[in-house]
Amino acid sequence: MYSVKEPDAGTPERKSSEQVTLEIDGHAVTVPAGTSVMRAAADAGVRVPKLCATESLEAFGSCRLCLVQIEGRRGYPASCTTIAEPGMKVRTQSDPLAKLRRGVMEMYISDHPLDCLTCPTNGNCELQEQAGVVGLREVRYGEGGANHFKKAEKDTSNPYFDFDPAKCIACSRCVRACEEVQGTFALTLQGRGFESKIASGNTDFKSSECVSCGACVQACPTATLVEKSIVERGQPDHSVVTTCAYCGVGCSFRAEVKGSEVVRMVPNKDGHANHGHSCVKGRFAWGYATHKDRITKPMIRSSIRDPWREVSWDEAIAYAASEFKRIQAEHGRGAVGGITSSRCTNEETYLVQKLVRAAFGNNNVDTCARVCHSPTGYGLKTTLGESAAPRTSTPSSTPTSSSSSAPTRRTPTPCSPRR
Amino acid sequence: MSSDAIDQALAASGHLPGGLLQVLHGIADRLGHIPAEAIGRVAAALNLSRAEVHGVVSFYHDFRSEPPGRHILKLCRAEACQAMGSEALAGALERRLGCKFGETSADRAVTLEPVYCLGNCAAAPSLLLDGQLRGRLTGERLDRLVDTLVAPAEERA
Amino acid sequence: MTHIVYVPIDATARSVGADDVAAAIAREAAARGEPVQIVRNGTRGLCWLEPLVEVVTPAGRVAYGPVDVADVASLFAADFLRGGAHPLAHGRTDDITWLKGQERLTFARVGLTDPLSLADYKEHGGLRGLRAALSAKTGSDIVEELVRSGLRGRGGAAFPAGIKWRTVAGAPGPQKYVCCNADEGDSGTFSDRMLMEGDPYVLLEGMTIAGLAVGADQGYIYLRSEYPDAERTLMAAIEAARAAGWLGRDVLGSGRAFDIELRRGAGAYICGEETAMLESLEGKRGMVRPKPPLPAISGLFGKPTVINNVITLASVPIILDRGAQFYADYGMGRSRGTLPFQLAGNIKRGGLVEKAFGLTLRELVYDYGGGTASGRPVRAVQVGGPLGPYLPESKFDVPLDYEVFAAAGGMIGHGGLVVFDDTVDMALMARYAMEFCAIESCGKCTPCRIGSTRGVEVIDRIRNNERRGPNLALLRDLCDTMTHGSLCAMGGLTPAPVLSALEHFPEDFQR
Repeated sequence: MYSVKEPDAGTPERKSSEQVTLEIDGHAVTVPAGTSVMRAAADAGVRVPKLCATESLEAFGSCRLCLVQIEGRRGYPASCTTIAEPGMKVRTQSDPLAKLRRGVMEMYISDHPLDCLTCPTNGNCELQEQAGVVGLREVRYGEGGANHFKKAEKDTSNPYFDFDPAKCIACSRCVRACEEVQGTFALTLQGRGFESKIASGNTDFKSSECVSCGACVQACPTATLVEKSIVERGQPDHSVVTTCAYCGVGCSFRAEVKGSEVVRMVPNKDGHANHGHSCVKGRFAWGYATHKDRITKPMIRSSIRDPWREVSWDEAIAYAASEFKRIQAEHGRGAVGGITSSRCTNEETYLVQKLVRAAFGNNNVDTCARVCHSPTGYGLKTTLGESAAPRTSTPSSTPTSSSSSAPTRRTPTPCSPRR
Repeated sequence: MSSDAIDQALAASGHLPGGLLQVLHGIADRLGHIPAEAIGRVAAALNLSRAEVHGVVSFYHDFRSEPPGRHILKLCRAEACQAMGSEALAGALERRLGCKFGETSADRAVTLEPVYCLGNCAAAPSLLLDGQLRGRLTGERLDRLVDTLVAPAEERA
Repeated sequence: MTHIVYVPIDATARSVGADDVAAAIAREAAARGEPVQIVRNGTRGLCWLEPLVEVVTPAGRVAYGPVDVADVASLFAADFLRGGAHPLAHGRTDDITWLKGQERLTFARVGLTDPLSLADYKEHGGLRGLRAALSAKTGSDIVEELVRSGLRGRGGAAFPAGIKWRTVAGAPGPQKYVCCNADEGDSGTFSDRMLMEGDPYVLLEGMTIAGLAVGADQGYIYLRSEYPDAERTLMAAIEAARAAGWLGRDVLGSGRAFDIELRRGAGAYICGEETAMLESLEGKRGMVRPKPPLPAISGLFGKPTVINNVITLASVPIILDRGAQFYADYGMGRSRGTLPFQLAGNIKRGGLVEKAFGLTLRELVYDYGGGTASGRPVRAVQVGGPLGPYLPESKFDVPLDYEVFAAAGGMIGHGGLVVFDDTVDMALMARYAMEFCAIESCGKCTPCRIGSTRGVEVIDRIRNNERRGPNLALLRDLCDTMTHGSLCAMGGLTPAPVLSALEHFPEDFQR
């Protein structure tokens, strides 16, 4: 989950030309047709308790904390799976609802270890938060009942995150994130009933089909799936929005920071290229940020036998320009050229070709993506009439096909939901 | 052998829309259980993930992960049979076979499983022995039935 | 003259030796040089008399039962082939009081015919409903006929079948499905099984009519794996119906297509819940789906789907054949037609009684059932399966009508009755209700997944007299959370037997 809390409307946004007006706790609210009552409530500024719902995943209806009352309807429908209808009158708070929610939470907590103080997500746990919201004051089921925490074994095989089934509330958010956000289907519920538990197939995480994208960890409302960096360093104190430097997709991230040290990289929900998702590289492989080999200042040397010399940017650029000119003077206009990395954005690649054509006066320009992505380019050109590499998530309404050798590996984030 | 059984099950039912259960039944019918190697093979053939197949296998009681004993005895433990004394039979069976429900007797003769209704509620108590329904059980009839199951093993021993 | 002898092939009859009896009769007849043709029929539903052997005499079919292999020689000696007197003789089958008072509409053929004989089927009125449906002008004519009949879903929820069909018929899209829910898992119920084994064609006919009505060309039967006999019978029936041309691309030469595929469940009570059944049919874990969307709009593979249980679909042909009014003339209130009640558990004369709605438990338990098998007083009857409340004798005179019975705290459900004598420990039965839920819950929603296990634990504490008062209060709170908070009827109704035990038999929790 996000450590620096952001609003979560509970169910995905719906788009519709039709608008529906309903009443929630006396507040009129208008939402696009198809919107859930839960999301409509959020729009009206009303927060309905929830655990299995999060706006990045389709409604599931399992936790039963979000029950509401709707005038003219029997019982207590779940607000996440109930679609807003015109004229609906919804109550999200009442004595019977409060009792029901406490009853559900009492069940949850009866199967949860009470080790919050030493838990890696202490202070940043939806279960903890919701227990407070519903006002749980006692758990009457006592000790000695069946549970999932006394004999649970942690799976620490994944290099980036731990799986601690002792903390699991079986909400399936991780399973659904793997399916709906990442499209890998590496997780499942195993068994059934009280024995239901999350499993990475019939093997541990490392040997499973998991690609370590981290969508499950991000979706987890408890400490069941938690980044190793958080286990080791604790919760961050603030976050900074940044762009992932790994490839040209340009995924937006919130670098979660403790002091001046990054402790976690969380894909930004508002990122237009990644919509809250990311690949393993941006999510977990950010150790380079503080690696001793990282080059942080420009350096030049006039010969491969000379040592590198740190210089200012002005000097570095002036040196490069003078050398380009010298080489062209000595060896001709075509003696220099430019190659961009596939980590560059389209805009950066455009600027480089502009430099080569306008300033160098030749056409010696290429991008390494032309080689590794040539099948993608061919496929896209043939299919869509345009061969630019994918730069944003493909909208769900657009059917796409690609003949790239491995589009989901080269730029996993935009491609994963479309697999 | 298990490889052949998996192939046969896939050939028989792999084409059915949403036919995973039928494929797994095909394997279980041939082998008595779903061996671990079947998970990956079936997943690959049906374009599913291994986790999905594992999730399905683990959900349904019919799909065992371990080979059963030579006989499978499923005693009904639902209400109608309870009303006719099935719980006493259940206890007697556990003592006789020396194993609990969900387990196989030490001599591998019988895997003992509970079942919740066999639709024989007007002739209770009932059990299903290797797919054959037996009704109006009494302690004595059950004893005689178990005799026929464990006797061959005792003779071999 | 060849004597025709009926020995049921129904699983209940076979479970108590019908196969051996049939073989013994064949052997004895051969030894005596009596020409005998043995027909393996469905059961008449007089389960306590199984194996019930019938012989055809000029006066009609004469019944003998329960027949043991050891009785066969004496039956021949008594000349049973010509209806001779014998201690096991019951006279003409049709005259047996138990059968005589019944109103067999859905089960009209069950027990009379060879289940797989198409000739028998047609001779006894089979296919008339389908032919009527084919001659009806449109699907909506069929739907409206069903609406007028007042037929409600017999699987337990009692939703009007015609209204459901109307929704599916009106849903857009070229691909629709008809799914028969044959996951009859409630203890004390066996009418689906008996029908599938005793008259499989009527189910296929009902499904075909449903397909014509709503515009579906594919049907699925989701059959529980605990019914291997029914599976064999249905497989053979589907093959025969295809070969005879009333399933397939051209139903009875009408140019309309409808085919049926049988799918075997895999041991999960929850797959009797319709959305879990759909998940299972799609090859997934049997997890309950939230509603909406209704399966009638978005069901199997996301397509509009009719889901009805076996008895509902098997009741359709007679409605199309005899007309909605004929069917609606049976019953009371909003409960029209007949229901095959099933008498089970500790009952002297267990079996199937098809009667119009409106009779009482007392009639069923005492007049038909003859009280307990043990001879001890009846203490409780559970109606409607493991999610049904336990009822004491004070409730025995409430008419069996969906609304009236529910108002009195009962649930007709699938029409199964499980009778218990006075040795039953109702606190233990309450515990079992929770235990069953814990075993069979899909595990999706919290109240059912955790609540059922906690329910077992709390009842154990009450039975052990550990803080009994607070734990009784806790049990009631837990039941409240399950009742109102669960995703589906499994968690929602599991408290019903528990609370009824607390209400009617509180002394069992104070021992």
